[in-house]
Amino acid sequence: MAAAGARSLLDRAFDAIRWVAEAWALVGGLLLVAVVLVNAVSLAGNILLSQPVPGDFEIVEVGVAVAIFAFLPYCQLTDANVTADIFTAGANRFWQSVFVLVASAIALGFSVILLWRMWFGLLDFRTYEEVTTIYQFPLWIAYLPILASLALLVLASLVTLVEAARGRPELSIAVPRGSE
Amino acid sequence: AGTFAGSAALPRRAAAADAKYTLKLHHFLGPTSPAQVKMLAPWAKRVEEGSGGAVKIEIYPSMSLGGKPPELIRQVRDGVVDIVWTVNGYTPGLFPRSEVFELPFVHTNDPAATNLAMADLYKQDLAVEYKGIKPLFLHVHAGQAIHMVDTPVHTPDDMAGKKIRIPTRTGAWVLEALGANPVGMPVPELPQALSKKVVDGALIPWEIIPALKLQDLIKDYIEGPNKARLGTTTFQVSMNGDKWASLPKEIQAVFEKESGDDWLKEVGKIWRENDDHGIEIAEKAGGTHIVLTDEQWAKFHEKLEPVVGRWVDEVKGKSIDGKALVEAARAAIAKHTM
Amino acid sequence: MESELLIGLIGLVALIGLIAIRVPIAYAMMLVGAVGTVVLSGPAILLSQLKTLAYGQFSIYDLSVVPMFVLMGNIATRAGLSRDLFRAANAWLGWMRGGVAMAAIAACAGFGSVCGSSLATASTMGQVALPELRRYRYSPSLATGTVAAGGVLGILIPPSIVLVVYAVIVEANITTMFIAAFVPGLIAVLFFLITIAIYVRLVPDAGPRGDRVSREEIVASSIAVLPVAVIFGLVIGGIYFGFFNPTPAAAIGVFLVAVYGLGRRLVGWRELRSALLDTAKTSGMIYLILLGAELLKIFMSRGGVPQAAAEMMASSGLPPLAIMALLLVALIFLGCLMDSLSMILLVIPFFWPVIAQLDFGLGAEPTKVWFGILALIVVELGLITPPVGMNVFVINAMSRDVPMSQTFRGVMPFFFVELLRVVLLLAFPGITLFLPRLLG
Ligand code: NA
Ligand code: NA
Repeated sequence: MAAAGARSLLDRAFDAIRWVAEAWALVGGLLLVAVVLVNAVSLAGNILLSQPVPGDFEIVEVGVAVAIFAFLPYCQLTDANVTADIFTAGANRFWQSVFVLVASAIALGFSVILLWRMWFGLLDFRTYEEVTTIYQFPLWIAYLPILASLALLVLASLVTLVEAARGRPELSIAVPRGSE
Repeated sequence: AGTFAGSAALPRRAAAADAKYTLKLHHFLGPTSPAQVKMLAPWAKRVEEGSGGAVKIEIYPSMSLGGKPPELIRQVRDGVVDIVWTVNGYTPGLFPRSEVFELPFVHTNDPAATNLAMADLYKQDLAVEYKGIKPLFLHVHAGQAIHMVDTPVHTPDDMAGKKIRIPTRTGAWVLEALGANPVGMPVPELPQALSKKVVDGALIPWEIIPALKLQDLIKDYIEGPNKARLGTTTFQVSMNGDKWASLPKEIQAVFEKESGDDWLKEVGKIWRENDDHGIEIAEKAGGTHIVLTDEQWAKFHEKLEPVVGRWVDEVKGKSIDGKALVEAARAAIAKHTM
Repeated sequence: MESELLIGLIGLVALIGLIAIRVPIAYAMMLVGAVGTVVLSGPAILLSQLKTLAYGQFSIYDLSVVPMFVLMGNIATRAGLSRDLFRAANAWLGWMRGGVAMAAIAACAGFGSVCGSSLATASTMGQVALPELRRYRYSPSLATGTVAAGGVLGILIPPSIVLVVYAVIVEANITTMFIAAFVPGLIAVLFFLITIAIYVRLVPDAGPRGDRVSREEIVASSIAVLPVAVIFGLVIGGIYFGFFNPTPAAAIGVFLVAVYGLGRRLVGWRELRSALLDTAKTSGMIYLILLGAELLKIFMSRGGVPQAAAEMMASSGLPPLAIMALLLVALIFLGCLMDSLSMILLVIPFFWPVIAQLDFGLGAEPTKVWFGILALIVVELGLITPPVGMNVFVINAMSRDVPMSQTFRGVMPFFFVELLRVVLLLAFPGITLFLPRLLG
């Protein structure tokens, strides 16, 4: 009973992580839409009034970067990262689990290191305050949502790692996907 | 058969085997860019020869050791690479004092003079913003000139309402003061933008004309009397601070000698020549090279002096005495101008 | 020089080993790049660089068109464009022998003109065209092979995500690359159509005639694709003729496709939501590979690998065209293993320095453009070659009763005409270069 209760608690925690990752990816997507709109307004302003949005350039750079980081946890949970399944497509459940375990361990290691290092990146940006050219927007502020995304990526990698360890690779393996 | 012209520009690891101090120099332009071929490579050679072969400088062009150009300054501070060549303006906010040399009517027309003036001001005023790194030399290009697709400019009013690509942060202020609309865009996109008048012009030095083939797109090239320009861009060649401290005194002395006044004048000459070459190409292609009269130029000065005031007010927020810096910079440049 | 090449070789073997055990390609690149850099230069350098490296790579202005084109394609998929395109193409071509398959190719080309990705083109058009091909009793291998091959047009006809990434790596102008891709893209369409015509002549049962439709239907269906023509004209035409740069053009494209979908009431919040989530997956995956490739580049540069490889090739005594052909063949083989974007990111940083040293009598910038288009074609072939051909997998998943081997057999004719096209473009650089010269 207790074990089952703990297990379902874990499942519920995992579901919560999945839900948050999806919502966070949608927020990133809406940010991308906002960047699209800034560009459209700037272009229209340029054509109609000869007056583009002055700093559209840096809005695009910062906006897209923040959005992409927000996508990463969702990518991890939906197995969106391209893999080559030449030798592994015919493998049985056990080996499937092992492969996902290895991949998730690398993803976990990567996300932890990146979170750790980019935290120091944030401190650096505070010490040597770097801003954007036109709006004087301090870059460390962009790092706040980015670090949140990386923390979520750590959790997402943990989810796929644990699911693989429990022998449920299908919870993180989906159909093969390509960039094309 | 295949030629291998660029190979000399690529770093060779093997060749460094007998040197005692092998240093990596990282920068953002290509291996055949004038900046590498005419400035960085000759400078590296001077240092290597001056050290009698004890120093070897491997040049890594095109960000080949990773990252985007704004990261160069962090890379040298953190010791990811030993030396970088970078543009101060890539990281706005980091070099507020050095920025004084980018203001209009501070740098006027002589890059050598401005290079020497930056060296003069370095110890007293600028050093504080280069913490953790050792600038070997600071320099500028020949200065921002006005490139217009098809608008001959004689007065500030001729630029009103025009969309102009900005060169630097304060370059945007220059344009605002002239009543133009500043537009930010990466340099590689500029030719396309000019060709269909997404922008009407750009504030850049002549030196860039051949690389971007601007002679096919720009009709009017405008500068002040005696090659006077509307500000410039500041660059630095800097070494990691710990790496510098680890070098023996005699090696440090080699670097200082080969990056001293003679070299700063030489760098000024190099950028001046590149700039002259650029406008020559434009003129040959049928471009109109407009040199404003003293009287016309005075009108620009009148409009642009408030930009200097704006900068002084802004840096006050960082507890910098901008007014004193402007005066010191102008005095030093005047002293070194022939 | 040998030690540098050995470093490169060890790195490559480790990378392929990791990829073979299903480690995502992005993470495999990161691991090899990171471990290699640490071995060569110690951990401090890598750890310092990681403070800003990812942010730097994700904030490259020129790459911002990538998520925008991905979003545009994802909305287009849901906006009913594919159905209209196929209906019009079928009205014009369907009555011929093999005509329904030809219509599928033409519709793929049309969809490719608003979508930057092959896979999205293949899957979207597959949903529309496969049932029709089956209805007219096309042979399963021709039906699935046609749509899998047609999907490749998604990337050969601008806009094209892989081409954007190539341009960013070699510092080429995105606009010029898009212009250069246009004529070779049209040739691909033409070759595919001819392939089908010959195929149904040789195997008459494979592609029966479709129905001849009324003149009214031809007119009505043609009018229905006007919005696609307008969107393509504004976005790509706007870029070609320089009215705006790629980033605002991509933004306008997203905007127009969304307006089209909203206007037809085919796109609402639900569709937008799923388009955004798909965009998140694809873009996140692309940028992660980008970061992996950057780490790998740092390792290889520190190991002196690209220079050594370039020197080896230059001192090999082979004529430039033979070296070019060798590199293209290497890409085709690598295509059996990897997806096109990973390949471009993995090998172009090594191949481009080699090509840049060679003299083809074209000049530096045209060589860059020409090589880019050739590389684009051969990496795209990886999508339809066994054992891993993403397009074939996707199409096969939509028609469960067709064995994978039949689909691969169905794409083989298209594969061979693609090789023919590579030879043609290799022999006559002017085909690729005349339009950029005209418009540039
Ligand atoms: Na396309
Ligand atoms: Na393949």
